[in-house]
Amino acid sequence: MRSVNDKLGWAKIDWKTILVYVALVFIGWLNIYAAVYNDAMGGGFDLSARYGMQLIWIGISAVAAIVILLIDDIYYHQLAYPAYGLMLLVLLATLFVGHTVNGARSWLVFGPVSVQPAEFMKVAAALALARFMSSYNFSLSHWKDIVGVGVVLLVPIFIILLQNDMGSALVYCSFLMVLFREGLNPWVYYALFLIVGLFVGSFLLSPVALLVLLVLLFVVTQFVANRNVRESVGYVAATGLLSIVIYALSWAAQWGVSYYHSLLVASLVMLIPALLYAYRHKLSNIYLYGAMFVLSLLFLGAVDYVFNDVLQLHQQKRILDLLGLESDLKGWGYNVHQSKIAIGSGGFFGKGFLDGTQTKYDFIPEQSTDFIFCTVGEEWGFVGSVVVLVLFATLIIRLMKMGERQQEPFRRVYCYGVAGIFLFHTIINIGMTIGLMPVIGIPLPMFSYGGSSLLAFTVLFFIAVRLDSQNSSIGETYKFY
Amino acid sequence: MSANRSRILILFVVGLFVVLGLRLFHIQIVDHSYRRAAENNVLRYEVQYPPRGEIYDRNGEFLAQSVASYDLMVVPRNIPKTGFDTVALAKIAGVSVEQLVKGLQSAKSYSSSRASVVVRQLTTEAKLLFDEGGFDGFYTLFRTQRSYPRKIAGNLLGYIGQVNDKIIERNPYYGRGDYIGYSGIESAYEELLRGEKGEKVSVVDVRGTIKGPYQEGHYDRAPVAGIPITTTIDAQLQEYAEVLMEGKVGSIIAIEPSTGEILVMVSSPTYDPDELMGRDRGNNYVKMLNNPRQPLFNRAVMSSYPPGSTFKLVNGLIGLQEGVVTPSRRYPCAEGYHVGRGVKCHDHRSPLNLKEATANSCNAYFCYVFRDILDNPTRGGIMNGGYDNWAKYVRSFGFGERLGSDFASERGGFVPTSKFYDDYYPKWNSLTIISMAIGQGELGCSPLQMANLAATIANRGYYYIPHVVKHIDGHDSLDRRFYERHYTMVEERHFEPIIDGMWGTVHREIGTAGVAYVKGLDICGKTGTAQNPHGKDHSTFLAFAPKDDPKIAISVYVENGGFGSSVAAPIASLLMEKYLTGEVKRPELEEYIKNMKIAYPNYEKRK
Repeated sequence: MRSVNDKLGWAKIDWKTILVYVALVFIGWLNIYAAVYNDAMGGGFDLSARYGMQLIWIGISAVAAIVILLIDDIYYHQLAYPAYGLMLLVLLATLFVGHTVNGARSWLVFGPVSVQPAEFMKVAAALALARFMSSYNFSLSHWKDIVGVGVVLLVPIFIILLQNDMGSALVYCSFLMVLFREGLNPWVYYALFLIVGLFVGSFLLSPVALLVLLVLLFVVTQFVANRNVRESVGYVAATGLLSIVIYALSWAAQWGVSYYHSLLVASLVMLIPALLYAYRHKLSNIYLYGAMFVLSLLFLGAVDYVFNDVLQLHQQKRILDLLGLESDLKGWGYNVHQSKIAIGSGGFFGKGFLDGTQTKYDFIPEQSTDFIFCTVGEEWGFVGSVVVLVLFATLIIRLMKMGERQQEPFRRVYCYGVAGIFLFHTIINIGMTIGLMPVIGIPLPMFSYGGSSLLAFTVLFFIAVRLDSQNSSIGETYKFY
Repeated sequence: MSANRSRILILFVVGLFVVLGLRLFHIQIVDHSYRRAAENNVLRYEVQYPPRGEIYDRNGEFLAQSVASYDLMVVPRNIPKTGFDTVALAKIAGVSVEQLVKGLQSAKSYSSSRASVVVRQLTTEAKLLFDEGGFDGFYTLFRTQRSYPRKIAGNLLGYIGQVNDKIIERNPYYGRGDYIGYSGIESAYEELLRGEKGEKVSVVDVRGTIKGPYQEGHYDRAPVAGIPITTTIDAQLQEYAEVLMEGKVGSIIAIEPSTGEILVMVSSPTYDPDELMGRDRGNNYVKMLNNPRQPLFNRAVMSSYPPGSTFKLVNGLIGLQEGVVTPSRRYPCAEGYHVGRGVKCHDHRSPLNLKEATANSCNAYFCYVFRDILDNPTRGGIMNGGYDNWAKYVRSFGFGERLGSDFASERGGFVPTSKFYDDYYPKWNSLTIISMAIGQGELGCSPLQMANLAATIANRGYYYIPHVVKHIDGHDSLDRRFYERHYTMVEERHFEPIIDGMWGTVHREIGTAGVAYVKGLDICGKTGTAQNPHGKDHSTFLAFAPKDDPKIAISVYVENGGFGSSVAAPIASLLMEKYLTGEVKRPELEEYIKNMKIAYPNYEKRK
């Protein structure tokens, strides 16, 4: 029960999560200071330097956080759609009057201050999505509602893509998390994983290995579903045997068919007994697995075709570099290479605060923005990196748990949306600096230098905290219906 | 359902962070290559070159000095994208724009982030101009360059040059662009002269700008200067000897008998050692290589000449020791020795005793002596040890093997073994090899060995290994092999009659080298006129002075110079006069020798 004196619900504010957040902001600022620091700087403190500017933005964010905590949560529900509409207009305006930085027309400039509206669009989109998904009778099993969700997310994505800001657009993938939580069909996710897996596999594995894995994958999945051990093993053995027979025949007849093609033919031929088996035992799921198998083969063929005949050389190189198959250290691969060197050279305990040679002597481009994690890795080593990872993971999981304990879908969806955004930024950004993820120019929350990003994350986060603090207990009336 | 999904999501989040953590674990802890890469990025190792040790003559005069010089270095990556004033830089460096551009290209192909040399050997003035110019990406590196103020003794001093890949592979001390002594003293005492390279470790930023020493210079090493060496050479005498040898091919070596110290070592034609330094080195070197008279070939220690009549001294000494001849024993000579193939002799009175035969260089006399040594029945005759006994005597004089001087390129000449003749002739006896009685035939000796013979006789029976280094800074002594007396197999008492004969060569009417006479110097000598297949006879003279308490022993060998008395003897005499009295009082003889040019059709033909 809420006390009368605590109308704003401050007593129920999740201070622990805020502490994690503040710790990350503080550590982030220290690392910006270290990234900018060099010997020539002397001892003075310069507000116009990046660490000074960031401090000002931290101040502004703190004020924004307090203001957010002072506003009654009902307004966030009410303002969700207007804010969403307003931000779409601002995004559209940016498309025409914005400034171009690094090829993306995504900045609005007001005198000395530059703002990136796409950062704030995330807040509006999270609120709007939460409101839409908490509307009466909403269900992710209704096609109409799924289309609605698609519209809410795809409109900002479309405008941001028009701004040529690929990174900010990709961030909207993060809402896949909340959609999963709210019950989107898991097959969507299986399909996504399969597509990503096939794509990566088509570069990393030999065709034969990939095909063998595919056959095994589908046989094993249907075995898990149908529990038919003898038939499954027999099927795999028969396929293998058939492929060998075809290969031997072709060798004897000098047709020159490779083993890959023998196996391909064998696995396709073996689909016939599988379908007959499904028909006889009335196992309809086998039709599905069979279809997915064929689709996978088609997808692999498409990947080959697109990669070799559609993509241009520099795009091919970028993909190969990301998969670790080729490195262009002089071109764009230079950033990642230097970043890995900086982080890798940190060792266990790191080189110490302000003692990172790679960052201090400018070997890493964008070292206070996208590649800020290099400073963490180099100066604080494995220990410091893990501390930062644990703090981020804690923050994200606490946000998810925060979502779980909400009574109302609006609050829950919003909290999960925020958790997803933080997760996407963190994993992609850190993954990029250590060569696990493609180079997508998105900031590390609270760490990367930049006022818009810090302020947007702060707003995102504190709205979640605010919603949580006024979470109604069981028995109270829901506010948001 | 939803609780389940929430759990799956948490697992998913944790899984992602674990993947990041594992990757961090791998690159930060397991894989050390990133640490090395980071050091490569940020640390610049600069070699600090020490000045090479100076070389002095025995009186403290400079033979080789080290002077400051700067290499122009470049880190291609750090050249501004907008380019730089190539014309101005080329002018400062004293090269053409094409040379500069070529140097830059080769630097780029080596590495864009590492330093390499663009132009070598800038003078100090050029370096100061460069410093004012402010060319980004370039810097200068202090080196020293050799300078040879007296411009003498090219082959003796040797030359230095950049190490080649083979040397770098064999000896880890050397790195790209280092210098090493390639011949002469520079090579023999390389490890002392070179000093020890230092290293400076600096921290550089991404633009290659030096930001300061790494860890307060903890890993820096200061270079250690090369050790100065005082040689045994007398620079003034050396210079005089080179002047006398102008226009002639051959060699002069003078030794101080009481120490084995080499006073003069001339290999003619010689060259100005400065020509093998500096930017024209390449051109000059090729020119010298193509010179048919082979100025780079150090004849003094590397050639193998027939010793000619000077070798009669050895045979006489062996005969005395073996007891097959006595000083008073006379042999007749009718213009030669007419047994077997026979050996001709010049017209002189007959018969002569040992001293007279030595002074007069009678061929017949030494044929008798030589055959008696070989065929001596108490030694079993020539085939049963007689020959080998003789060869053993000869070797005890330092012939047939390297003496062990400090010249790595020294060669040992040739003294045949009995097996050599067994293989060569189906049947042979003392008459077959009679020409060795007078220092012809298969015998081969280096000028150093001949000078050593002069020193051995001057010492009455022993020698110190000839050497060219007198003192090494910081060392109390030289290698101990230079302090050991090497005794010949001939006893001291047998030397006097031979020395009397040598004295007679210069002082008696019967002697062959009256031209070498200098009043009061008591020069003892022996002429040689060595037949050879390359044309006119070689003129050689072997001498020491004064007779008692000798101060200098000398061997002069002039290829195709004719009689020993016509060129070699006057040269030796002038040098001894200069060394012992400080001046030469025979200007006509001096002028005559200086202006003498000998034709070498066989060398010119070879080209």
